[in-house]
Amino acid sequence: MSYFRAVDPFPLESADDTKLHEFYARLAEGRLTTTACAGCGRTAWPPRGFCPECGSDRFTWSELPSEGTLHAFTVQETGLPAGFPAPRVFAVVNVGGHRIFTVLVGPDATAVGLGQKVRLTPLRVADGPKGTPRWLPAFTPA
Amino acid sequence: MRGVALVGAGVSKFGVRKASYRDLIWEAGKACFDSVSGVKPRDVEGLVVGSVMPERTAFQSHIASMAAEALGIRPTALSARTEHMCASGTVGIRYAYAFIAAGLADLVMVLGVEKLNQPSGEEAILNMGTGVDREWEAAFGLTAPPCFALAAQRHMAAYGTTEEQLALVGVKNHGHAAKNPNAHFNKGATLDQVLCSRMISTPLRLFMCSPITDGAAAVLLASEERARTLTDTPVWIRGTGQALDGFQLTSLSADYAEWPALRRAAEAAYRMAGVTAGDVDVAEVHDCFSIAELIAYEELGFCAKGEGGAFVEAGRSDYGGDVVVNPRGGLIGCGHPLGATGIAQAAEIYAQLRGEAGARQVPEAAVGLTHNNSGMGEHVVMIYGREPR
Repeated sequence: MSYFRAVDPFPLESADDTKLHEFYARLAEGRLTTTACAGCGRTAWPPRGFCPECGSDRFTWSELPSEGTLHAFTVQETGLPAGFPAPRVFAVVNVGGHRIFTVLVGPDATAVGLGQKVRLTPLRVADGPKGTPRWLPAFTPA
Repeated sequence: MRGVALVGAGVSKFGVRKASYRDLIWEAGKACFDSVSGVKPRDVEGLVVGSVMPERTAFQSHIASMAAEALGIRPTALSARTEHMCASGTVGIRYAYAFIAAGLADLVMVLGVEKLNQPSGEEAILNMGTGVDREWEAAFGLTAPPCFALAAQRHMAAYGTTEEQLALVGVKNHGHAAKNPNAHFNKGATLDQVLCSRMISTPLRLFMCSPITDGAAAVLLASEERARTLTDTPVWIRGTGQALDGFQLTSLSADYAEWPALRRAAEAAYRMAGVTAGDVDVAEVHDCFSIAELIAYEELGFCAKGEGGAFVEAGRSDYGGDVVVNPRGGLIGCGHPLGATGIAQAAEIYAQLRGEAGARQVPEAAVGLTHNNSGMGEHVVMIYGREPR
Protein backbone atom coordinates (compact mmCIF):
# COMPACT_ATOMS: atom_id res chain seq x y z
CA MET A 1 0.00 0.00 0.00
CA SER A 2 2.98 2.34 0.30
CA TYR A 3 2.80 2.58 -3.48
CA PHE A 4 -0.81 3.80 -3.42
CA ARG A 5 0.03 6.24 -0.63
CA ALA A 6 2.55 7.82 -2.96
CA VAL A 7 -0.39 8.85 -5.14
CA ASP A 8 -2.03 11.81 -3.41
CA PRO A 9 -5.55 12.43 -4.70
CA PHE A 10 -6.29 15.30 -2.30
CA PRO A 11 -5.84 19.03 -2.93
CA LEU A 12 -2.71 20.83 -1.82
CA GLU A 13 -4.43 23.26 0.52
CA SER A 14 -1.72 25.39 2.15
CA ALA A 15 -0.74 28.98 1.39
CA ASP A 16 2.46 27.64 -0.21
CA ASP A 17 0.43 25.61 -2.67
CA THR A 18 -2.66 27.53 -3.77
CA LYS A 19 -4.01 31.06 -3.86
CA LEU A 20 -7.33 29.59 -2.69
CA HIS A 21 -5.85 28.47 0.66
CA GLU A 22 -8.21 30.63 2.72
CA PHE A 23 -11.12 28.49 1.51
CA TYR A 24 -9.60 25.50 3.26
CA ALA A 25 -8.65 27.44 6.39
CA ARG A 26 -12.27 28.56 6.81
CA LEU A 27 -13.56 25.07 5.98
CA ALA A 28 -11.46 23.71 8.87
CA GLU A 29 -13.45 26.11 11.11
CA GLY A 30 -16.72 24.71 9.75
CA ARG A 31 -17.44 27.64 7.41
CA LEU A 32 -18.29 27.36 3.71
CA THR A 33 -17.09 30.25 1.57
CA THR A 34 -16.38 31.01 -2.05
CA THR A 35 -14.75 33.75 -4.04
CA ALA A 36 -16.44 37.05 -4.91
CA CYS A 37 -14.77 38.85 -7.80
CA ALA A 38 -13.30 42.21 -6.72
CA GLY A 39 -13.96 43.58 -10.19
CA CYS A 40 -17.60 42.70 -10.82
CA GLY A 41 -18.75 41.14 -7.54
CA ARG A 42 -19.77 37.81 -9.07
CA THR A 43 -19.58 34.74 -6.89
CA ALA A 44 -18.96 31.30 -8.37
CA TRP A 45 -18.60 27.68 -7.36
CA PRO A 46 -15.98 26.38 -7.02
CA PRO A 47 -13.82 29.29 -5.86
CA ARG A 48 -11.71 30.76 -8.65
CA GLY A 49 -8.65 32.96 -8.98
CA PHE A 50 -9.62 34.49 -12.30
CA CYS A 51 -12.98 35.91 -13.35
CA PRO A 52 -13.88 34.91 -16.92
CA GLU A 53 -16.66 37.53 -16.94
CA CYS A 54 -14.59 40.68 -16.24
CA GLY A 55 -10.99 39.47 -16.38
CA SER A 56 -10.05 40.40 -12.82
CA ASP A 57 -7.79 38.16 -10.75
CA ARG A 58 -8.58 39.88 -7.46
CA PHE A 59 -11.22 38.46 -5.14
CA THR A 60 -12.62 38.53 -1.63
CA TRP A 61 -14.25 35.70 0.30
CA SER A 62 -18.02 35.43 0.55
CA GLU A 63 -19.84 33.30 3.15
CA LEU A 64 -22.22 30.60 1.88
CA PRO A 65 -25.02 29.06 3.95
CA SER A 66 -24.13 25.79 5.67
CA GLU A 67 -27.42 24.19 4.58
CA GLY A 68 -28.65 23.25 1.13
CA THR A 69 -30.89 20.80 -0.74
CA LEU A 70 -30.09 17.58 -2.57
CA HIS A 71 -30.33 17.97 -6.37
CA ALA A 72 -28.96 14.59 -7.56
CA PHE A 73 -27.16 11.64 -6.03
CA THR A 74 -25.85 8.15 -6.77
CA VAL A 75 -24.61 5.42 -4.46
CA GLN A 76 -21.46 3.79 -5.81
CA GLU A 77 -21.14 0.24 -4.54
CA THR A 78 -18.35 -1.18 -6.73
CA GLY A 79 -15.27 0.07 -8.52
CA LEU A 80 -14.18 2.89 -6.23
CA PRO A 81 -10.56 4.02 -6.38
CA ALA A 82 -8.18 2.57 -3.79
CA GLY A 83 -8.55 4.33 -0.45
CA PHE A 84 -12.21 5.31 -0.97
CA PRO A 85 -14.46 2.77 0.80
CA ALA A 86 -17.86 1.66 -0.59
CA PRO A 87 -20.67 2.48 -0.49
CA ARG A 88 -20.00 6.11 -1.34
CA VAL A 89 -22.77 8.64 -1.96
CA PHE A 90 -21.83 11.20 -4.61
CA ALA A 91 -24.15 14.19 -4.73
CA VAL A 92 -24.85 17.55 -6.25
CA VAL A 93 -26.38 19.94 -3.73
CA ASN A 94 -27.87 23.40 -4.17
CA VAL A 95 -26.35 25.84 -1.67
CA GLY A 96 -26.94 29.59 -1.77
CA GLY A 97 -27.74 29.55 -5.48
CA HIS A 98 -24.71 27.42 -6.40
CA ARG A 99 -24.54 23.75 -7.44
CA ILE A 100 -21.85 22.04 -5.38
CA PHE A 101 -20.40 18.60 -6.06
CA THR A 102 -19.78 16.66 -2.86
CA VAL A 103 -20.22 13.39 -0.99
CA LEU A 104 -22.85 12.67 1.64
CA VAL A 105 -21.40 11.21 4.84
CA GLY A 106 -22.79 9.90 8.11
CA PRO A 107 -25.00 6.92 9.04
CA ASP A 108 -28.02 8.14 7.01
CA ALA A 109 -26.10 9.02 3.85
CA THR A 110 -27.53 6.19 1.73
CA ALA A 111 -31.15 6.76 2.86
CA VAL A 112 -31.83 10.08 1.15
CA GLY A 113 -34.23 11.51 -1.43
CA LEU A 114 -34.16 14.38 -3.91
CA GLY A 115 -34.95 17.76 -2.36
CA GLN A 116 -33.79 16.65 1.08
CA LYS A 117 -32.03 19.21 3.30
CA VAL A 118 -28.31 18.67 3.77
CA ARG A 119 -25.83 20.32 6.12
CA LEU A 120 -22.11 21.11 5.66
CA THR A 121 -19.91 18.59 7.49
CA PRO A 122 -16.22 19.14 6.74
CA LEU A 123 -14.53 15.81 6.05
CA ARG A 124 -11.00 15.27 7.37
CA VAL A 125 -8.86 13.44 4.82
CA ALA A 126 -5.20 12.38 4.82
CA ASP A 127 -2.80 15.05 6.08
CA GLY A 128 -0.89 17.10 3.54
CA PRO A 129 2.71 16.38 2.54
CA LYS A 130 3.96 18.62 5.39
CA GLY A 131 1.73 16.99 8.00
CA THR A 132 -0.99 19.64 8.07
CA PRO A 133 -4.67 18.57 8.38
CA ARG A 134 -6.74 18.66 5.21
CA TRP A 135 -10.50 19.00 4.81
CA LEU A 136 -13.06 18.60 2.02
CA PRO A 137 -16.56 20.15 1.90
CA ALA A 138 -18.81 17.13 2.55
CA PHE A 139 -22.46 17.18 3.67
CA THR A 140 -24.76 15.09 5.89
CA PRO A 141 -28.53 14.65 5.54
CA ALA A 142 -30.12 17.24 7.86
CA MET B 1 -10.09 22.74 -48.39
CA ARG B 2 -9.03 19.46 -49.96
CA GLY B 3 -11.06 16.28 -49.63
CA VAL B 4 -9.79 13.73 -47.09
CA ALA B 5 -10.59 10.02 -46.86
CA LEU B 6 -9.86 6.96 -44.79
CA VAL B 7 -7.85 4.50 -46.87
CA GLY B 8 -6.95 1.90 -44.27
CA ALA B 9 -7.91 0.73 -40.78
CA GLY B 10 -6.92 -1.92 -38.29
CA VAL B 11 -7.79 -2.86 -34.72
CA SER B 12 -6.02 -5.00 -32.12
CA LYS B 13 -7.84 -7.53 -29.99
CA PHE B 14 -9.43 -5.61 -27.08
CA GLY B 15 -9.47 -7.09 -23.57
CA VAL B 16 -7.36 -7.66 -20.49
CA ARG B 17 -4.36 -8.35 -22.66
CA LYS B 18 -1.17 -10.24 -21.97
CA ALA B 19 0.66 -7.68 -24.07
CA SER B 20 2.80 -4.60 -23.56
CA TYR B 21 1.93 -1.04 -24.58
CA ARG B 22 4.31 -1.44 -27.52
CA ASP B 23 2.87 -4.88 -28.43
CA LEU B 24 -0.52 -3.20 -28.84
CA ILE B 25 0.96 -0.47 -31.07
CA TRP B 26 2.56 -3.15 -33.24
CA GLU B 27 -0.69 -5.11 -33.44
CA ALA B 28 -2.89 -2.19 -34.54
CA GLY B 29 -0.21 -0.73 -36.80
CA LYS B 30 0.28 -4.03 -38.61
CA ALA B 31 -3.47 -4.54 -39.00
CA CYS B 32 -3.77 -1.05 -40.51
CA PHE B 33 -0.85 -1.48 -42.93
CA ASP B 34 -2.15 -4.94 -43.91
CA SER B 35 -5.52 -3.40 -44.81
CA VAL B 36 -4.13 -1.27 -47.66
CA SER B 37 -1.77 -2.42 -50.38
CA GLY B 38 0.95 -0.13 -51.62
CA VAL B 39 1.65 1.77 -48.40
CA LYS B 40 4.82 1.13 -46.45
CA PRO B 41 5.64 2.80 -43.12
CA ARG B 42 8.21 5.07 -44.82
CA ASP B 43 5.45 6.44 -47.10
CA VAL B 44 3.52 7.84 -44.14
CA GLU B 45 4.26 11.55 -43.61
CA GLY B 46 2.64 11.98 -40.23
CA LEU B 47 1.55 10.16 -37.11
CA VAL B 48 -0.86 11.32 -34.43
CA VAL B 49 -1.23 9.09 -31.37
CA GLY B 50 -4.23 9.31 -29.07
CA SER B 51 -3.30 8.02 -25.63
CA VAL B 52 -4.49 9.20 -22.24
CA MET B 53 -2.43 7.77 -19.41
CA PRO B 54 0.74 5.98 -20.52
CA GLU B 55 2.64 8.00 -17.91
CA ARG B 56 0.60 6.27 -15.20
CA THR B 57 0.43 2.81 -16.82
CA ALA B 58 3.34 2.11 -19.17
CA PHE B 59 5.51 4.74 -17.39
CA GLN B 60 6.14 6.27 -20.78
CA SER B 61 5.73 9.71 -22.32
CA HIS B 62 7.06 11.04 -25.67
CA ILE B 63 4.47 8.71 -27.12
CA ALA B 64 4.19 9.75 -30.78
CA SER B 65 7.91 9.35 -31.42
CA MET B 66 8.02 6.03 -29.57
CA ALA B 67 5.12 4.70 -31.68
CA ALA B 68 6.58 6.12 -34.91
CA GLU B 69 9.83 4.28 -34.27
CA ALA B 70 8.01 1.06 -33.37
CA LEU B 71 6.20 1.15 -36.72
CA GLY B 72 9.06 2.49 -38.87
CA ILE B 73 7.33 5.79 -39.62
CA ARG B 74 9.60 8.82 -40.12
CA PRO B 75 7.27 11.81 -39.81
CA THR B 76 8.08 14.77 -42.03
CA ALA B 77 4.80 16.69 -41.87
CA LEU B 78 3.08 15.97 -38.54
CA SER B 79 3.97 14.19 -35.31
CA ALA B 80 1.90 14.70 -32.18
CA ARG B 81 0.12 13.03 -29.31
CA THR B 82 -3.44 13.90 -28.36
CA GLU B 83 -4.49 13.58 -24.73
CA HIS B 84 -8.10 14.57 -24.39
CA MET B 85 -9.40 11.87 -22.05
CA CYS B 86 -11.94 9.51 -23.62
CA ALA B 87 -12.21 11.44 -26.93
CA SER B 88 -8.42 11.49 -27.54
CA GLY B 89 -8.68 9.25 -30.60
CA THR B 90 -11.24 11.28 -32.51
CA VAL B 91 -9.50 14.53 -31.57
CA GLY B 92 -6.41 13.01 -33.22
CA ILE B 93 -8.40 12.25 -36.38
CA ARG B 94 -9.52 15.89 -36.48
CA TYR B 95 -5.88 17.08 -36.33
CA ALA B 96 -4.85 14.76 -39.17
CA TYR B 97 -7.92 15.78 -41.16
CA ALA B 98 -7.10 19.49 -40.79
CA PHE B 99 -3.44 19.02 -41.78
CA ILE B 100 -4.39 17.08 -44.91
CA ALA B 101 -7.29 19.36 -45.84
CA ALA B 102 -4.96 22.36 -45.52
CA GLY B 103 -2.38 20.79 -47.83
CA LEU B 104 0.29 20.30 -45.15
CA ALA B 105 0.33 16.49 -45.50
CA ASP B 106 -0.97 13.82 -47.88
CA LEU B 107 -0.83 10.62 -45.86
CA VAL B 108 -1.15 10.47 -42.05
CA MET B 109 -1.74 7.62 -39.62
CA VAL B 110 -3.79 8.16 -36.49
CA LEU B 111 -3.28 5.50 -33.86
CA GLY B 112 -4.95 5.15 -30.47
CA VAL B 113 -3.50 2.95 -27.74
CA GLU B 114 -4.04 2.28 -24.06
CA LYS B 115 -2.65 -0.35 -21.70
CA LEU B 116 -4.96 0.30 -18.78
CA ASN B 117 -4.61 -2.96 -16.84
CA GLN B 118 -1.09 -2.10 -15.76
CA PRO B 119 0.31 -2.28 -13.17
CA SER B 120 -3.11 -3.56 -11.98
CA GLY B 121 -6.83 -3.13 -12.61
CA GLU B 122 -7.15 -1.45 -9.20
CA GLU B 123 -4.53 1.07 -10.22
CA ALA B 124 -6.46 1.69 -13.45
CA ILE B 125 -9.53 2.76 -11.49
CA LEU B 126 -7.43 5.15 -9.42
CA ASN B 127 -5.92 6.55 -12.63
CA MET B 128 -9.37 7.26 -14.07
CA GLY B 129 -9.74 9.96 -11.42
CA THR B 130 -7.24 12.05 -13.37
CA GLY B 131 -9.93 12.67 -16.00
CA VAL B 132 -12.10 14.74 -13.67
CA ASP B 133 -11.10 17.81 -11.64
CA ARG B 134 -8.62 16.70 -9.03
CA GLU B 135 -9.26 19.46 -6.50
CA TRP B 136 -13.06 19.65 -6.60
CA GLU B 137 -14.10 16.19 -7.85
CA ALA B 138 -11.44 13.45 -7.83
CA ALA B 139 -10.49 14.35 -4.25
CA PHE B 140 -13.89 12.91 -3.26
CA GLY B 141 -13.13 9.64 -5.08
CA LEU B 142 -15.05 10.55 -8.23
CA THR B 143 -14.45 8.60 -11.43
CA ALA B 144 -16.69 8.17 -14.49
CA PRO B 145 -19.43 5.78 -13.24
CA PRO B 146 -21.03 8.15 -10.70
CA CYS B 147 -20.97 11.03 -13.23
CA PHE B 148 -23.04 9.08 -15.72
CA ALA B 149 -25.14 7.59 -12.92
CA LEU B 150 -26.17 11.16 -12.05
CA ALA B 151 -27.21 11.64 -15.70
CA ALA B 152 -29.23 8.42 -15.52
CA GLN B 153 -30.93 9.54 -12.31
CA ARG B 154 -31.92 12.87 -13.84
CA HIS B 155 -33.06 11.25 -17.12
CA MET B 156 -35.23 8.79 -15.21
CA ALA B 157 -36.71 11.62 -13.12
CA ALA B 158 -37.34 13.92 -16.10
CA TYR B 159 -38.53 11.45 -18.75
CA GLY B 160 -39.57 8.27 -16.96
CA THR B 161 -36.71 6.25 -18.46
CA THR B 162 -36.67 2.79 -16.88
CA GLU B 163 -33.95 0.43 -15.63
CA GLU B 164 -35.10 -2.05 -18.28
CA GLN B 165 -34.51 0.52 -21.03
CA LEU B 166 -31.03 1.19 -19.64
CA ALA B 167 -30.45 -2.57 -19.62
CA LEU B 168 -31.59 -3.01 -23.24
CA VAL B 169 -28.60 -0.99 -24.42
CA GLY B 170 -26.38 -3.53 -22.65
CA VAL B 171 -28.27 -6.44 -24.23
CA LYS B 172 -27.97 -4.95 -27.72
CA ASN B 173 -24.30 -4.03 -27.49
CA HIS B 174 -23.19 -7.26 -25.80
CA GLY B 175 -25.12 -9.04 -28.57
CA HIS B 176 -23.32 -7.09 -31.29
CA ALA B 177 -19.94 -7.70 -29.62
CA ALA B 178 -20.57 -11.45 -29.83
CA LYS B 179 -20.12 -11.05 -33.60
CA ASN B 180 -16.87 -9.09 -33.23
CA PRO B 181 -13.78 -11.23 -32.61
CA ASN B 182 -11.82 -8.15 -31.46
CA ALA B 183 -14.34 -7.25 -28.74
CA HIS B 184 -13.51 -7.57 -25.03
CA PHE B 185 -16.71 -9.62 -24.49
CA ASN B 186 -18.00 -12.27 -26.89
CA LYS B 187 -20.75 -14.07 -24.98
CA GLY B 188 -23.74 -11.74 -25.34
CA ALA B 189 -26.07 -11.01 -22.43
CA THR B 190 -29.77 -11.53 -21.72
CA LEU B 191 -32.01 -8.87 -20.21
CA ASP B 192 -32.10 -10.86 -16.96
CA GLN B 193 -28.32 -11.07 -16.85
CA VAL B 194 -27.99 -7.31 -17.29
CA LEU B 195 -30.67 -6.48 -14.73
CA CYS B 196 -29.20 -8.93 -12.18
CA SER B 197 -25.57 -7.96 -12.71
CA ARG B 198 -23.65 -6.31 -9.88
CA MET B 199 -24.59 -2.73 -8.99
CA ILE B 200 -21.81 -0.31 -9.85
CA SER B 201 -23.35 3.10 -9.12
CA THR B 202 -27.14 3.40 -8.79
CA PRO B 203 -28.85 2.80 -11.23
CA LEU B 204 -25.98 1.58 -13.44
CA ARG B 205 -25.17 -2.13 -13.22
CA LEU B 206 -22.06 -3.92 -14.45
CA PHE B 207 -23.41 -4.89 -17.89
CA MET B 208 -24.55 -1.29 -18.48
CA CYS B 209 -20.92 -0.10 -18.10
CA SER B 210 -17.81 -0.28 -20.26
CA PRO B 211 -14.94 -2.22 -18.66
CA ILE B 212 -11.26 -1.37 -18.11
CA THR B 213 -9.70 -2.58 -21.36
CA ASP B 214 -6.36 -2.72 -23.14
CA GLY B 215 -6.31 -2.16 -26.89
CA ALA B 216 -5.15 -0.20 -29.88
CA ALA B 217 -6.50 0.84 -33.28
CA ALA B 218 -5.14 2.72 -36.27
CA VAL B 219 -6.52 4.43 -39.37
CA LEU B 220 -4.78 5.91 -42.38
CA LEU B 221 -6.00 9.25 -43.75
CA ALA B 222 -5.13 10.50 -47.24
CA SER B 223 -5.74 13.54 -49.42
CA GLU B 224 -8.27 13.05 -52.21
CA GLU B 225 -5.57 12.70 -54.83
CA ARG B 226 -3.53 10.18 -52.82
CA ALA B 227 -6.65 8.29 -51.73
CA ARG B 228 -7.67 7.62 -55.32
CA THR B 229 -4.27 6.02 -56.04
CA LEU B 230 -4.59 3.71 -53.04
CA THR B 231 -8.14 2.34 -53.20
CA ASP B 232 -11.28 2.30 -55.33
CA THR B 233 -13.43 2.61 -52.22
CA PRO B 234 -12.12 5.36 -49.94
CA VAL B 235 -14.36 6.37 -47.06
CA TRP B 236 -14.69 10.14 -47.10
CA ILE B 237 -14.73 12.48 -44.15
CA ARG B 238 -17.87 14.49 -44.78
CA GLY B 239 -18.16 16.55 -41.62
CA THR B 240 -16.81 17.09 -38.13
CA GLY B 241 -17.79 19.02 -35.02
CA GLN B 242 -16.53 19.42 -31.48
CA ALA B 243 -17.99 21.38 -28.59
CA LEU B 244 -17.26 21.91 -24.89
CA ASP B 245 -20.04 22.89 -22.51
CA GLY B 246 -18.15 22.40 -19.25
CA PHE B 247 -15.36 20.46 -17.56
CA GLN B 248 -16.55 20.16 -13.98
CA LEU B 249 -19.94 18.59 -13.26
CA THR B 250 -21.18 21.76 -11.62
CA SER B 251 -20.12 23.91 -14.59
CA LEU B 252 -22.46 22.23 -17.06
CA SER B 253 -25.01 24.68 -18.37
CA ALA B 254 -27.90 22.21 -18.38
CA ASP B 255 -29.11 19.45 -16.10
CA TYR B 256 -27.30 16.14 -16.60
CA ALA B 257 -30.00 14.61 -18.79
CA GLU B 258 -29.35 17.26 -21.47
CA TRP B 259 -26.07 17.43 -23.33
CA PRO B 260 -26.05 20.72 -25.30
CA ALA B 261 -22.39 20.24 -26.32
CA LEU B 262 -23.33 17.05 -28.18
CA ARG B 263 -26.19 18.84 -29.90
CA ARG B 264 -23.82 21.61 -31.01
CA ALA B 265 -21.09 19.20 -32.20
CA ALA B 266 -23.65 17.17 -34.16
CA GLU B 267 -25.24 20.26 -35.74
CA ALA B 268 -21.81 21.46 -36.91
CA ALA B 269 -20.95 18.04 -38.36
CA TYR B 270 -24.31 17.60 -40.12
CA ARG B 271 -24.13 21.11 -41.59
CA MET B 272 -20.61 20.56 -42.89
CA ALA B 273 -21.53 17.14 -44.30
CA GLY B 274 -24.77 18.33 -45.88
CA VAL B 275 -26.75 15.51 -44.28
CA THR B 276 -29.35 15.18 -41.54
CA ALA B 277 -29.79 12.65 -38.76
CA GLY B 278 -32.23 10.75 -40.95
CA ASP B 279 -29.50 10.11 -43.55
CA VAL B 280 -27.26 8.22 -41.09
CA ASP B 281 -27.30 4.46 -41.71
CA VAL B 282 -24.82 3.36 -39.07
CA ALA B 283 -23.49 5.09 -35.97
CA GLU B 284 -20.76 4.31 -33.47
CA VAL B 285 -21.73 6.27 -30.36
CA HIS B 286 -19.95 6.65 -27.03
CA ASP B 287 -21.83 4.18 -24.81
CA CYS B 288 -19.35 4.34 -21.93
CA PHE B 289 -22.50 3.73 -19.89
CA SER B 290 -25.90 2.74 -21.26
CA ILE B 291 -27.45 6.09 -20.32
CA ALA B 292 -24.94 7.80 -22.62
CA GLU B 293 -26.26 5.89 -25.64
CA LEU B 294 -29.87 6.85 -24.83
CA ILE B 295 -28.97 10.54 -24.50
CA ALA B 296 -26.86 10.32 -27.68
CA TYR B 297 -29.91 9.10 -29.67
CA GLU B 298 -31.70 12.26 -28.55
CA GLU B 299 -28.94 14.84 -28.97
CA LEU B 300 -27.86 13.39 -32.34
CA GLY B 301 -31.44 13.81 -33.53
CA PHE B 302 -32.27 10.12 -34.05
CA CYS B 303 -35.34 10.65 -31.82
CA ALA B 304 -37.00 13.43 -29.85
CA LYS B 305 -35.65 14.60 -26.47
CA GLY B 306 -36.69 12.18 -23.75
CA GLU B 307 -37.55 9.32 -26.12
CA GLY B 308 -34.19 7.53 -26.00
CA GLY B 309 -35.52 4.73 -23.81
CA ALA B 310 -38.49 4.05 -26.09
CA PHE B 311 -36.15 4.21 -29.13
CA VAL B 312 -34.03 1.26 -27.97
CA GLU B 313 -37.08 -0.60 -26.64
CA ALA B 314 -38.71 -0.48 -30.09
CA GLY B 315 -35.55 -1.82 -31.76
CA ARG B 316 -35.07 1.37 -33.72
CA SER B 317 -31.31 1.46 -32.97
CA ASP B 318 -30.72 -2.14 -34.05
CA TYR B 319 -30.59 -4.03 -37.37
CA GLY B 320 -33.87 -3.46 -39.21
CA GLY B 321 -34.51 -0.20 -37.33
CA ASP B 322 -33.92 3.48 -38.18
CA VAL B 323 -30.14 3.41 -37.68
CA VAL B 324 -27.84 0.63 -36.49
CA VAL B 325 -26.06 1.95 -33.40
CA ASN B 326 -22.80 0.37 -32.25
CA PRO B 327 -22.61 -2.64 -34.59
CA ARG B 328 -19.09 -3.49 -33.32
CA GLY B 329 -20.49 -3.78 -29.77
CA GLY B 330 -19.83 -0.27 -28.51
CA LEU B 331 -17.72 0.54 -25.50
CA ILE B 332 -19.91 -1.73 -23.38
CA GLY B 333 -19.15 -4.79 -25.51
CA CYS B 334 -15.72 -3.95 -26.94
CA GLY B 335 -14.31 -2.25 -23.87
CA HIS B 336 -12.96 1.27 -23.66
CA PRO B 337 -9.19 1.62 -24.07
CA LEU B 338 -9.60 5.40 -23.93
CA GLY B 339 -7.36 6.71 -26.72
CA ALA B 340 -8.11 3.70 -28.94
CA THR B 341 -11.90 3.99 -28.77
CA GLY B 342 -12.44 6.83 -31.25
CA ILE B 343 -10.08 5.16 -33.73
CA ALA B 344 -11.83 1.79 -33.38
CA GLN B 345 -15.14 3.56 -34.02
CA ALA B 346 -13.71 5.04 -37.24
CA ALA B 347 -12.32 1.62 -38.23
CA GLU B 348 -15.81 0.10 -37.87
CA ILE B 349 -17.40 2.80 -40.02
CA TYR B 350 -14.59 2.26 -42.58
CA ALA B 351 -15.46 -1.45 -42.77
CA GLN B 352 -19.22 -0.81 -42.81
CA LEU B 353 -19.14 1.76 -45.64
CA ARG B 354 -16.90 -0.51 -47.73
CA GLY B 355 -19.23 -3.47 -47.20
CA GLU B 356 -16.49 -5.42 -45.39
CA ALA B 357 -18.08 -5.80 -41.95
CA GLY B 358 -19.01 -9.46 -42.39
CA ALA B 359 -21.54 -10.75 -39.86
CA ARG B 360 -21.97 -7.19 -38.58
CA GLN B 361 -22.63 -5.61 -41.98
CA VAL B 362 -25.38 -2.98 -42.06
CA PRO B 363 -27.08 -3.46 -45.46
CA GLU B 364 -26.25 -0.71 -47.98
CA ALA B 365 -24.58 1.55 -45.40
CA ALA B 366 -23.65 4.80 -47.18
CA VAL B 367 -23.45 7.40 -44.39
CA GLY B 368 -21.80 6.65 -41.04
CA LEU B 369 -21.35 8.69 -37.86
CA THR B 370 -19.01 8.44 -34.89
CA HIS B 371 -19.55 10.11 -31.53
CA ASN B 372 -16.79 10.26 -28.92
CA ASN B 373 -17.03 12.16 -25.66
CA SER B 374 -14.91 13.23 -22.71
CA GLY B 375 -17.35 13.31 -19.83
CA MET B 376 -20.86 14.67 -20.28
CA GLY B 377 -19.67 18.16 -21.14
CA GLU B 378 -17.53 17.61 -24.22
CA HIS B 379 -18.36 15.83 -27.47
CA VAL B 380 -16.83 15.13 -30.88
CA VAL B 381 -18.81 13.98 -33.92
CA MET B 382 -17.50 12.75 -37.29
CA ILE B 383 -19.57 11.98 -40.37
CA TYR B 384 -18.25 9.65 -43.06
CA GLY B 385 -19.67 8.84 -46.47
CA ARG B 386 -19.17 6.53 -49.44
CA GLU B 387 -19.45 9.70 -51.53
CA PRO B 388 -17.15 12.74 -51.03
CA ARG B 389 -18.36 16.10 -49.73
